[in-house]
Amino acid sequence: MDLSALASQLLVGLSRAMILFIVSAGLSFVLGVLRVPNVFHGSLYMIGAFVAFTIAAWAGEPALGLALAIAAAPLVVALVGLVVERTLLSHLYQREHLMLILFTFGVMLILNDVVKLVWGADYRSILPPAALQGMASAFGLALPRYNALLLGAGPVVAVAMWLFTHRTRVGTIARAAAVDREMVGVLGIDVSRVFALAFVVGCYLAGLGGALVAPTTSISLGMDHTIIIEAFLIVTIGGLGNIWGALVGSLLFGVTQSVGLLVWPQFAVVFPYLATVIVLLARPTGLLRSVW
Amino acid sequence: MTTGARLLWALLAAVAVVTVGVAPASQSAPAPQLGRNIKVGVVDTYSGPPAVFGNDALNGFRLAVNEINREGVLGARIEFVTRDERFSPEIGLSVARELVLQERVDVLVGTINSATALAISAFARDQRLPFIVWISKSEAITGARGHRYVFSTGENTAMAGKALAEAMARRPYSRFWLAAEDYEYGHAITNSFWRFMKRIKPEVILQGQTWWRTGEPDLVPYLTAIASARPEAVFFGTGGAGMTNVLRAMKTTGFSDRIPSMIHTAIDHAVLRPLGAGAPEGVMGTIDYLFYHPDTPANRAFVQAFQTAYGGPPGFPAFHAYNTAYFIAQAYRKAGALDREKFIDALEGLRIDSPVGRIEMRACDHQVVLPLFLGVTRRSPRFPDFLVATDIQTIRGEDVMPTCDDIRRARGQ
Repeated sequence: MDLSALASQLLVGLSRAMILFIVSAGLSFVLGVLRVPNVFHGSLYMIGAFVAFTIAAWAGEPALGLALAIAAAPLVVALVGLVVERTLLSHLYQREHLMLILFTFGVMLILNDVVKLVWGADYRSILPPAALQGMASAFGLALPRYNALLLGAGPVVAVAMWLFTHRTRVGTIARAAAVDREMVGVLGIDVSRVFALAFVVGCYLAGLGGALVAPTTSISLGMDHTIIIEAFLIVTIGGLGNIWGALVGSLLFGVTQSVGLLVWPQFAVVFPYLATVIVLLARPTGLLRSVW
Repeated sequence: MTTGARLLWALLAAVAVVTVGVAPASQSAPAPQLGRNIKVGVVDTYSGPPAVFGNDALNGFRLAVNEINREGVLGARIEFVTRDERFSPEIGLSVARELVLQERVDVLVGTINSATALAISAFARDQRLPFIVWISKSEAITGARGHRYVFSTGENTAMAGKALAEAMARRPYSRFWLAAEDYEYGHAITNSFWRFMKRIKPEVILQGQTWWRTGEPDLVPYLTAIASARPEAVFFGTGGAGMTNVLRAMKTTGFSDRIPSMIHTAIDHAVLRPLGAGAPEGVMGTIDYLFYHPDTPANRAFVQAFQTAYGGPPGFPAFHAYNTAYFIAQAYRKAGALDREKFIDALEGLRIDSPVGRIEMRACDHQVVLPLFLGVTRRSPRFPDFLVATDIQTIRGEDVMPTCDDIRRARGQ
């Protein structure tokens, strides 16, 4: 096999993993801090993509449109998350997980219909600026330009999340709450506000993932289903609630898929799931430490 | 008769006179010869990504029904009820059952999902009820699994596969890659293309094949992997959301600039419009309806009426559904009664004037005979907002359809 083809394919896989990481990091963070398996996380990702479309269409000029979309769409999604958290979710934290899954599943169905009402059933798409179209090659490796941008976005988010959880007070409290939330409450900290913030951060990441993926795909109803299944698998193989686990899981998922395509294209679909099964057989609680 | 009863009769007569007086002319026509209205049950996808096609078909059907009802069908009107099958054969079958057993529809129509079409088709045969498929393209519908009660008003994978293979065989490529979405239509169109390709040009080589699962959002890794294998040409078997995803990924990776690519329905307006300038140029495709071609009075009138009613031009599902309504109306006019068997006899071999010219419902397999258009995606100064098909060649339906003998063989007769 052609070595440079393998390396290029690896890079494409890594860039795909970055989107998965951004989305599943949000899911994992919410799981860790709030103990809420948020099924409508995928809907927020879809809304992020649709809002990005609206912003980009409104701006007109592709480069400006994309920049505005990536900056503003996640904020809109975070706002949606805040409303849902304050009005509904904040009253339900004490319920058992099954109830929370049912509740968030219900919200997913509602948001799906909201998207249909607002944007209709048509496919949408965002045209990236000319500078981000086509292939870039460096050192004999070819990579779609937009995927190169994604490769950069992943580490930025990872570093930002690390700074947030380790260098800010709220982040530290959130991390503490993930380990022992009774203790945090006993210390007299207003857990409710910390939870709200953590949830909003999780939603922001879903929206960011949606906005970043928007120029590479057709923005359509149903994109929520695909991503939520993958994100839950990733969070599970990485270790529930562990953001670095989400990173490891995403890399495993993205790379097995893309390299699998090169090695055995007819059955490539199977590879990420096969990897998931192997990981879970070997380490049922995930690759990294689960906070549950 | 008592005074009270007489008064009541007088009152009723007065009401009747008033009602008839104010009723529109069509309703004061002689007593309906069909006796009651024709009831059509529509089963299609109105949620999720395929809804864009389901809605387009429904708009086309509604437009035709409104036109037909202005003069009526033997004194009756066409009524219809819709059900959302949510792209699921199980749901499709259960709503079809409900439409037949509870709503008591005379004809079932619809479905974008080929698996749903086949499921409802089997049910329609058991019920001896006519079922007209208007989007689903699997050749099994009117081929191997066809029967007296199922019809198709759209082109199918056998026709498209042969048309595409004939076009590709004229080009100097012999090393092919097949890339397709893993569902009924993806398999049907890809197998059909490759079957004809091997028959027409036996020296072709299948270098490799790639299958992706339905709903796969990011096809970039798939395309980069195929590109690194350097095939001479690639055939893609997908439609709907998968199609827009493939075209997006082609634009992102510049795939179609480097490797000749062919996809049935790639030149479909429903596919190209949402992509706008984000659609790749140079992709070869086939379709059986284009709103800008042929530029005939009939097509212009249809497009104009559709545009006025729904604010945009019709896609191929609207075209199929529009014709379906006219086939239903014409068949009942010919049958002269609301009788299922007479309706089917009337529909067999029936010809109607469609927006693209005279089309026929072939009697031997219940497959419509209509032309296909082969073209290449390009920017056009006439339509700045989206790409269109250029270098359009028209392929006659009868040239790419399986023969009636082929059909009989496929059905094991």
